[in-house]
Amino acid sequence: MKNVKVNIKLNGRKFEREVEPRTLLLDFVREFADLTATHMGCDTSNCGACTVLLDGKPVKSCTVLAVQADDREVRTLEGLGEEPLMKRLKEEFIEKHGLQCGFCTSGMLISSYSLLRKKSDPNEKEIREAISGNICRCTGYHGIVEAVKSVKGETAREKLPESPELVRR
Amino acid sequence: MSSITDIVNGKGRFVDDISFPGMVHIAFARSNYSRAKLLYVKGGYTARDFPYFMASAGEGATEEDLSLRAPVLASKFAAYLGEPIAAVTGKNRYEAEDNLDSVEIDYDPLKPILDPVEALNSEPVIPGVKTNIISDRYVGKEFSAGEAEIVLEDRLENRRVATNPLETRGIVAAYDGTKLTVWTPTQSAHSVRDGICESMNLGKESVRVIQTDTGGAFGLKGGVYPEYIVAASLAMKLKVPVKWIETRREHLMASRPGRGVVGNMRIHAMKSGVIKGISGDVIVDAGAYGGASWSSGWIAFQITGPYAIPNAYFHARSVMTNKVEQGPYRGAGRPEASFMMERMIDLLADEIGADPLDIRLLNAAKDKFRSPTGMEIEASAGFMARAFEKMEYRRLARESKPGISCFALIPAVSDGESCRIKVERGRINVWLGGNAHGQRHDLWVAKLLSGKFGVDPSIIELQLGDTDMLKEGVGSWGSRSAIVGANALLKVADKVIAHVKKDKGAYTARALLSGDYDEYEYANEKGMLISFCANLAVADADAAGNVRVSKLKAYYDVGKALVPDVVVSQIKGGAVQGVGQVLSENIEFDQDGQLMAASLSDSGVLNSVQSPDIDVYLEEVPSRFPHGAKGVGESPTIGVPTALVRAIERSAGIRIRKTPVSPEEIVNARSRVK
Ligand code: FES
Ligand code: FES
Repeated sequence: MKNVKVNIKLNGRKFEREVEPRTLLLDFVREFADLTATHMGCDTSNCGACTVLLDGKPVKSCTVLAVQADDREVRTLEGLGEEPLMKRLKEEFIEKHGLQCGFCTSGMLISSYSLLRKKSDPNEKEIREAISGNICRCTGYHGIVEAVKSVKGETAREKLPESPELVRR
Repeated sequence: MSSITDIVNGKGRFVDDISFPGMVHIAFARSNYSRAKLLYVKGGYTARDFPYFMASAGEGATEEDLSLRAPVLASKFAAYLGEPIAAVTGKNRYEAEDNLDSVEIDYDPLKPILDPVEALNSEPVIPGVKTNIISDRYVGKEFSAGEAEIVLEDRLENRRVATNPLETRGIVAAYDGTKLTVWTPTQSAHSVRDGICESMNLGKESVRVIQTDTGGAFGLKGGVYPEYIVAASLAMKLKVPVKWIETRREHLMASRPGRGVVGNMRIHAMKSGVIKGISGDVIVDAGAYGGASWSSGWIAFQITGPYAIPNAYFHARSVMTNKVEQGPYRGAGRPEASFMMERMIDLLADEIGADPLDIRLLNAAKDKFRSPTGMEIEASAGFMARAFEKMEYRRLARESKPGISCFALIPAVSDGESCRIKVERGRINVWLGGNAHGQRHDLWVAKLLSGKFGVDPSIIELQLGDTDMLKEGVGSWGSRSAIVGANALLKVADKVIAHVKKDKGAYTARALLSGDYDEYEYANEKGMLISFCANLAVADADAAGNVRVSKLKAYYDVGKALVPDVVVSQIKGGAVQGVGQVLSENIEFDQDGQLMAASLSDSGVLNSVQSPDIDVYLEEVPSRFPHGAKGVGESPTIGVPTALVRAIERSAGIRIRKTPVSPEEIVNARSRVK
């Protein structure tokens, strides 16, 4: 099949690429943009290791075609690095043992971050529901839930940072 | 090793994150059948290109018994669903998968033999052998039922579960004309190297294995796999770097799962509850070929656990079936052994109307005890009393129906471990033979070494496994690393200190850091290091058979906890795996040998909503090692399932004989009771 051109605003930078129409957003992010925080943990859309923000909403990037993200805005963990809420979450993930092997962590962070942006003070049930699409085989989730809990209540309402630059690669 | 900060910043380097210019991706054509003759195989790279066999032939086979060695690629016969038959390459994953269309395989399907008990007497599951039994041993001493007033029998089973680390298997391999370099997530870089060398008949100096950040392992990543041999061979043949990343579906069908054990147990006792003996059959579903013969005897050896049972005698067999070879999964034989013992002791308690704790205390070892199988334990009675007092069993038993379990953890201490410490330009690098994959070995390494050397922990860095940086090594499994790894670490640290003294007259941290030192030691270790552990669970099964776990507790003697909150975090994570084994984890086949668990969720891994928390209590009786630590990693997958099964059993009013136990089975068993 003919390649198609897609133009994705990825972590504030514009990525224009010719891709096969079947290319998953996950592969676009990992292979073309070389952003490897986003992981592939399954081929059955169950694990959530591939979670990214698409127009600000968490999606499993293995269930979205790159062409579906054309002209839209995608953020991966790398693109949220300096955001204060995400920074706090990362600190707490380390502090509360919210990770062991770390393979699920980017997806977990993004799902937790999205929850806290919607609701700054979630209860345990809401936290567990918000990350229920993200599988962690190591921690038993306890440390993750504790990490999110300890960030809750903090100001979580800032806007996504504006794109620092528009670069054509 | 990527630091924890790198990992949360998304800067970990897992195997799939490694890329080289010109690298090709590999995909495998696999058997669509659990058992079939292969009439022809055309296209791709096949056994004609790579006529290798897997290195380990298992305990039951002699060196010459080639019939039990798994071929790297099947050519005439497919012995399990998903067995690799041919490999293709492509410039990316998509193209490699497309190229699978170029492989043609013609099958003559045969009826698969999937049940290990049937396989005991059935025709052989693979050609060229006379029997499916690959390991056949009597363990313990024969005894007569003589004075026992009660003999109870039951058939118990732990079904197979997938190890399911979130990162599947994977490998990148490159060849520069003289040396093959392999990057792979692993528990033991040295095992991967040795496996590749043995299969392909290469010298150890010509292969380097480098561990990548490892996204969970749980036993899966301790060894070498057919796909790795193919990747290594292709890198050498094509002279371009190659990559293979396993899909989850491939994982569920064709990577080694754990458990898969049936026990026909008999307990001999007095009406008072005193156990006189335990005996029976242990039958391990070894899967195809000879690799998994290790576990049946090992299970039988430790069945009596923390109890002083004077008689024990088991017929332990590993039996081939038309499934992928069985492998170790967190606990690796220990959970199965404990399941047999604890289920029988609960059965006896119910029979004589005794409290499950009283009967355990009655049979606990009051003194040092050597079991009929040769397992030596210290007195366990005091431990049990403390454990259940701390977990408030008596109080809970008045208001609910807790299930309890006790076990003796036997870490894989023997053979020891290696370590290298290199001091250079004021920094200290450490390599260990056992490769970490989420257990935070970096923390105890830094803690012990900074204490020993009197330096700031921030200058100490634990490196990933690398066979060129460390001569020999064993591996990280069997709850062993903090024991034998830390022991080797301290020994090498002593060597470094002695060296500094020799050079500078006296040891100071300053003298150390101003010099260059490089010391290595393989600290061999014989004997065992057994510790006691106990669990408690409360659960309710509703009318539909859905189970809610309302309480889980653990009381473990972990020796000196080197980094206490890491120990707790290990226990919490393992506990959820234990709950998963009881409630849902399973990789069932239908009668035709097709896999019913086609996804991560189908295979029963619990999500955050389904996972309970566990209260953890640590008892810290120091071990004989200078660091004082004992084992911990596998304890929760041993003790949680048995306690939870009992709690469900009591709540539902049924007898539970196997894991997992599904809601339908609970409902059906209940209707039979009524
Ligand atoms: S990779 Fe598993 S859900 Fe996307
Ligand atoms: S930390 Fe390993 S999967 Fe979550």
